[in-house]
Amino acid sequence: MTINHHRSLTNRHNALKSTGPRSVAGKRASSQNSRKHGLNSAPDFESSSEYRALVDLIVEEGFSAFACADIAAGLLNYRRVMDAYYDTYTGPEPVDEFLRDVNVKVSNPIFSELLSPSGSEPQDVREMAAFFASMQSQERRKGGPISRRSADTHKLIRYQRNGIARLSRAVRQG
Amino acid sequence: MLYNIHFSIDVDVAMPVEDKSKSLLPFLLSPKLLPKESEAEFQSGLQSLLSELDNPSPLAVALVSQLNECLWWIRRHTADKEPLLHEAMARLLSKAGSYGETYDNRKVSEALEHYLDGSADKDEAEWIEDILTESKLTLSDLRVRAFKDAARHIKMVDDLIHRQHQTIRHLQRSIDSIDYKSRLIKRMDLELAALESKQSVKGVLSLDDKPS
Repeated sequence: MTINHHRSLTNRHNALKSTGPRSVAGKRASSQNSRKHGLNSAPDFESSSEYRALVDLIVEEGFSAFACADIAAGLLNYRRVMDAYYDTYTGPEPVDEFLRDVNVKVSNPIFSELLSPSGSEPQDVREMAAFFASMQSQERRKGGPISRRSADTHKLIRYQRNGIARLSRAVRQG
Repeated sequence: MLYNIHFSIDVDVAMPVEDKSKSLLPFLLSPKLLPKESEAEFQSGLQSLLSELDNPSPLAVALVSQLNECLWWIRRHTADKEPLLHEAMARLLSKAGSYGETYDNRKVSEALEHYLDGSADKDEAEWIEDILTESKLTLSDLRVRAFKDAARHIKMVDDLIHRQHQTIRHLQRSIDSIDYKSRLIKRMDLELAALESKQSVKGVLSLDDKPS
């Protein structure tokens, strides 16, 4: 068993004891941890220079002012979705190789040492091993980098569907 | 600004439409490509799509550019299917070790990739064949099993491709609508001009008819 293996398990065990950030800056930073693509936040297209430039360009094609505003917002919204699509595709959640490859059964002595150096209850060790095994099973289920990027990108399908429907409606009704 | 747009539009409001269309080019024609992709190929696809339109307006150019991007995504997703299968094959092989031990997934994956594309050295080829023997599998058996394992992700890729096809349909309808609108405006302009010329001729005639 390598030192790295021991160190990694120790780090993960200690991380389980963490009670989270305490400072305001830390809390602010961690509040964004679950932010994936930001497509659920309401965009403020109207105040952007791209929006005004697009409206000005489209108005010369014979669309009404309302239609121009709708089309410009629809186009910018669609681009926002497709940019998030690209970012998700190119930066999928990384594979935790240690967790994927660690042999949980072989790690039992380390778990007992970590839980209580003077000798821990076998029940605690079993629970810890079961916890790591379930995390490992989740990690393996996600597959490799290509499986992950497919799964992550797949989650954006509904945003693309809504984005293109909005744009298409705006153009055809304009 | 609440959102992050990765392109910039540099348009002067007072420019004529043709110039504005050109100034939109950085926004329209600067695709976000993957490292091994060719921008020239992307642009040539876009140009061939644009050449099918008769004097496209800036909005039509913008929509065609989105359509070209969809075609590009279909290519990417289609190319992902085979690596997905290889990934599943490597995963199965890495679990083939005896007594519950596993092989290093990354090493198996690399060796298998070389083995499959015929660039494996002698050691890699022997290693892969040993693991196959150990797991009592042939390469085709392994492929079948891997397909079963990867089916969920392959289905996801198929959904992504289907979505791009649907998006293309939406974009085509929008482009047709713009084209129809511009033709309609042109026709109305012509009819108006004809009416005006008729009116002016009538006016001249009526002036001529006036008794002196």
